[in-house]
Amino acid sequence: MFVLCQAESEISVRDSQPAIKRAAIMLILLAAIFALHIIGIILLLVATIDNAWWVTETLSTDVWARWIYINGMWNYTDLPTGSHYPQDYLQAVQASSVLACIFSILGIFVFVAQLFTLNKGQRFTISGVFQALACLSIMIAASIYTDRFHLDESIGSYGHCYILAWISFALTFISAVIYFVLRKKTA
Amino acid sequence: MLTLVALASLLVLAAVPEPSQAIVIYTGWERHALVGTEVRLSCSFFSWRWISEDVTFSWTYRPDGARDSISIFHYTGGMAYVDNKGPFRDRLEFVGNPGRRDGSILLKNLEFSDNGTFTCDAKNPPDIGGRPSSVRLLVFEKVPIQAGVITGSIVGAVLGLLLLIVVIYYLMRFLVARRVFSLSVSKHGKKKKEGSQQRQGPAPAADPAKPKASEKKKQESRKERK
Repeated sequence: MFVLCQAESEISVRDSQPAIKRAAIMLILLAAIFALHIIGIILLLVATIDNAWWVTETLSTDVWARWIYINGMWNYTDLPTGSHYPQDYLQAVQASSVLACIFSILGIFVFVAQLFTLNKGQRFTISGVFQALACLSIMIAASIYTDRFHLDESIGSYGHCYILAWISFALTFISAVIYFVLRKKTA
Repeated sequence: MLTLVALASLLVLAAVPEPSQAIVIYTGWERHALVGTEVRLSCSFFSWRWISEDVTFSWTYRPDGARDSISIFHYTGGMAYVDNKGPFRDRLEFVGNPGRRDGSILLKNLEFSDNGTFTCDAKNPPDIGGRPSSVRLLVFEKVPIQAGVITGSIVGAVLGLLLLIVVIYYLMRFLVARRVFSLSVSKHGKKKKEGSQQRQGPAPAADPAKPKASEKKKQESRKERK
């Protein structure tokens, strides 16, 4: 009787160890995905809000306004209007980058909510969809900006917000792919 | 007692000070229009008094960059007087309704030189104190895109579309679930009816058999006793 009990307890311990391991891996994975998503959101917000898509030594301009360095001070001025600075494309860039931020933030809320409510097979579909939409939007914004603005200007280069926009495009893409892959694995 | 209360209330009402006599004039803040079209400059006022017959409206115009203003329109004694010698001759028309406190004018065939500030002054005797109100006219060759209109409309349209898709998805799920539920209920009902009919079939056959069996048993027991 005693020997039987001991044998049973050993078997149960051996079975629970892989289960604990699996749970730990799952937790680490979830934390990593969450961190990746948050980094994507932060980069998107910086790229949208800060005015530095195109910089020269005295100029820092973007989708919202323009900073000009005059007499030792940075001045905040409106963007120029004219044929070389099409207003409607500018507003399209504004709208797309704002939409990318909104989709990404909605995605993180949906992800956290889904962790607690949905069944296993459907866990990450919707957040994956939102991340994919955010990826698409920021790609549209950056592409329109590249194609329509600063085409003939030789002085100056793309600023940190532009670079962050493309980096966040890559991050949101990877994030969406991971969400879709995980959906398959936990089904 | 009652008469005392009535007298007191009358005194109180009479002692209430009358509201201030200032007349308040409303016009727009800015008006945008295309060159060659017409624009309506609206002017209305609020006064504590009833509209008297001597109500007057007058419009003056100050071009952009100039210091002096010129009178271009006056309404008094029920008659509208339009300036026939100034820059607005044959282009100005009175479209207001003084009985409804409206003193609006219509400017036709706009030119670029019409950019400026138009001031409306209304008087409703005895209510004559008040500040005239001004509206700024801006004449454009092409209507400029207002800041943020396209941005707002794109964001709003996409989010609205998303909301619509979510609502439709949940509606379809709800409808499909209801249809499946009603189908399963009807199936259950059919099965129950079939089951009860089968039970009734063999039962009558068993009943005549039972009395026969009991009779046989009784006969056997009587035989055994014998």
